[in-house]
Amino acid sequence: MNNCNSDDIVFHGTLQQLVNKVERGEMVPKLQASHAPMCKFFTSFYVISGIRHVVPLVHGPTGCPLWVSDIVRTRECCEFRGVPLEPTACTSLDETNVIYGGEGKLLEAVREADARYNPDLIVILSCCCSGIIGDDVEGVAREAEKLVRAPVLALRSEGFGGDFRSGYEDAFELIMDLMEPPKTTRKGTINLIGARMGPSLTEFHDDLDEVTRLLRAVGIKINAVIAGGCTVDELRRAREVELNASWCYDWGQKLGDAMEARFGIPYSRTGQPYGLAATVEWIMGIADPLGLGHVAERVIRDETEKVRSDVEYLQRTLDGRTAVIEISEFPGPIRALSIARMVEECGAHAVVVNVHPYTIKERMPSIKFLLENGVNPEVILTKGLFRLGSFRSSRETERELEATVRGFDDPIFFGNAARYPDCPVVNLTLLNPMYLPHYGFRGIHNIAELLRHALDNQGLPRSALFRGMLYGNETN
Amino acid sequence: MYKEAPLTPTEACLDPYVRCALSGAAQTALGVRGSAVLAHAPQGCNYLVDGAFSWQDCDYAQTTTLCTKLCEDEIVHGGEELLARTILEAKELEISALFVLSACGPEIVGDDIVAVCEETQPKVDFKIIPIECAGFRGSQYDGIDIALEAMLRTLAATERKTIPNSVCLVAPHANANPTWMADLAWVQDVLAKLGIKVVATLTHETPLSELANTSAAECVLQLSHDAGYKAVSYLADTFGIEPLCVDTPLPVGLTNTRRWLTALGKRFDVEQVTEGLIADGERMVTETCRRRWPVARFFYRTPAAIVADATVGIPLVRFATEEMELTPTLVALRSVRAEAERLLNRELNDLRVTPHTVCGTDVYATRRSLETVRPRVVFGSTIERHACEGLDVPYVFEVVRPVRHFRLLNREYFGYRGILNLLECIQNEWSDRWRSKQRRYAAHW
Repeated sequence: MNNCNSDDIVFHGTLQQLVNKVERGEMVPKLQASHAPMCKFFTSFYVISGIRHVVPLVHGPTGCPLWVSDIVRTRECCEFRGVPLEPTACTSLDETNVIYGGEGKLLEAVREADARYNPDLIVILSCCCSGIIGDDVEGVAREAEKLVRAPVLALRSEGFGGDFRSGYEDAFELIMDLMEPPKTTRKGTINLIGARMGPSLTEFHDDLDEVTRLLRAVGIKINAVIAGGCTVDELRRAREVELNASWCYDWGQKLGDAMEARFGIPYSRTGQPYGLAATVEWIMGIADPLGLGHVAERVIRDETEKVRSDVEYLQRTLDGRTAVIEISEFPGPIRALSIARMVEECGAHAVVVNVHPYTIKERMPSIKFLLENGVNPEVILTKGLFRLGSFRSSRETERELEATVRGFDDPIFFGNAARYPDCPVVNLTLLNPMYLPHYGFRGIHNIAELLRHALDNQGLPRSALFRGMLYGNETN
Repeated sequence: MYKEAPLTPTEACLDPYVRCALSGAAQTALGVRGSAVLAHAPQGCNYLVDGAFSWQDCDYAQTTTLCTKLCEDEIVHGGEELLARTILEAKELEISALFVLSACGPEIVGDDIVAVCEETQPKVDFKIIPIECAGFRGSQYDGIDIALEAMLRTLAATERKTIPNSVCLVAPHANANPTWMADLAWVQDVLAKLGIKVVATLTHETPLSELANTSAAECVLQLSHDAGYKAVSYLADTFGIEPLCVDTPLPVGLTNTRRWLTALGKRFDVEQVTEGLIADGERMVTETCRRRWPVARFFYRTPAAIVADATVGIPLVRFATEEMELTPTLVALRSVRAEAERLLNRELNDLRVTPHTVCGTDVYATRRSLETVRPRVVFGSTIERHACEGLDVPYVFEVVRPVRHFRLLNREYFGYRGILNLLECIQNEWSDRWRSKQRRYAAHW
């Protein structure tokens, strides 16, 4: 790297060096206002609502469930994902309940929810309010279960009680309670774990469809996608599988480890299937333990043949060049590191820009897993992003990013089209369904196609309108 | 008439339409130009502030929202120190006011945001306004009232000399039209034509100086049937500002608009001007309809449900009954203000219609009510579109938030263009309903 304004940079080194700093408690952004990812309650809710016919019963005021029900349920799930209108019940705690406690109201709410919605499961989710006043949600769940038809679970998901990750993890642990002792072991059957899809918006089904397609081609059956629209019955039978797998080590890791420790079900530890090597590793990581390695090899051979020209194009184009990969709103930190691995495999020098220390901290197990597997790209963190900490487009971060990219000879930018560096931009946003999935063999084709567009059209003018919209006219 | 009466939601198990007080307070604070909002809250509550940010049409290049992101430590040991530090960090921002909003957590553990704001005020150049608006204090409409009261008490405390022929506008943002700013713009435009000065708008893009001048208004005009009642009372009681159009539904539809404009004309002695506006407006609507032939005329006496906030829902009753010749069979309102309920009952009596009414409905009560009443047409939102699944409701006109059709431009429901906007929603829904979903055969080319 050259010509980069060092005043703009707060960290420049390897991923491992950044991890070391974070572990030493260094690199804490100054402004408290920075970074407000979802709270523990939201992420718990996402996991729970990924189970079909569940009533997430929010023990709190109406503000807590409404964000998720309004945006997630109505727009993302009913409109985009074909999910029917599902309940988001709430005890709507008021000042009186805060003073005198809301356990009675909660018990009544469970009974009503059971009578109204005919659910397969009721999960009580506590919020800041009910958590602080000390309502015993687990006790109410136990009491309520005697009175209603549906099983009732409770999850302490107070927003202040942990980071966004802890919500996912605690919810996954909770639903393990539904998994019954196996009556049999189903040969060649796995669970895909770590999903949060159903009436929630997290995973991109195109990626899930691609990995499911590949598994089916190998002859592997899927008991449940946990919790990506799975049923309570599938959860009950989740221990009958031979193996757990995830399409993302990050999301599957906690549940995979927990199910391995508690039930002895092995977990296939692989990264995201971005690019040829990672895809092969991902498939074999599942097929080999199931004794289906030979079938998988044939599927891989056939699929590789179909994308041979794309793989050759990627290698020919990226070999010897610098790929600057930015973690912005999409594709997200773990995906960006997976892309770093993919481009390095094609001979490029990967530089990951703006992976924030908070991201490292909250995803430490996954980041360490990637490091153990040799993913240790060069990392640059600019001042604007670090200080303000916002993952939204900001003028300062854009200016710094453009300056950073100018510091490399003949780079290619991998990120999304909301950035305007003076080089080809590979638009990896996940909000453009035309080029999804990014995973697997179809992903290789799509990413090659996006790279081709970037290079073939690099001479075309960028939009002053969109740039002005994102950053104001001062940077024009 | 029906096998069973529609349900009234219970308090214990609610699937709500309306957000909490923090959300409403944030919506109100973010309507003040040149300010920032600091949520003294865990990080999740900041999403409600983000929602409020969009609702007020804020520009992220100009407006900043902050959050103390409280964790377990602050809940156990208190978060006042963190709040003070965050307020001081906001010195970096170019703002004239900082609204400090408290969420459930800090209020329950007893953080005194008012005291923190008082202590830090001398250390910063901007005005700090604390608003105690924990979610458990009520609905988003209660939050709007709480924030308006805090603003009026701190920023409009001084009595000013009354400006003749002037008004202040209250709670334009408590309106479920997804682009309610157009309703406000219509009101502002009409007032300008009548020669009436708007002293302050509480709130939308409101400079602090306007807020300080609120008490100079001669009259107050409430632009919501869901919130703002308390602010109107406060202005009347404290400064003697006269409330206008108190018992009149907001100007949606020909009759409502005529009544509303006529009331203004009488009060400000500009009846000739209002008569002109009414005549021009009604002519424009009629001529436009004659040229475009909206299909709304085909729905004659079709049973209709209205599921909306009170602000849009109450005036829609007359619009649906009179202008569209529908028969209202269900009116379900998301909020439950006594004043709004009285107004609705007056309208129903006046129109001599007897629909089932549900005040303070939730999603479950709506679904069950629709199931019982079985209307053929629903005015509502995307939620009702999905709640109607399996009920054989051919038309759901999405007019209140959330709506699935994206709008880049603001569209009002108030006034004469508002009537055309509503008819356009109906026309497009009608077209979607009749659009062929499959081909009977393939073409040869």
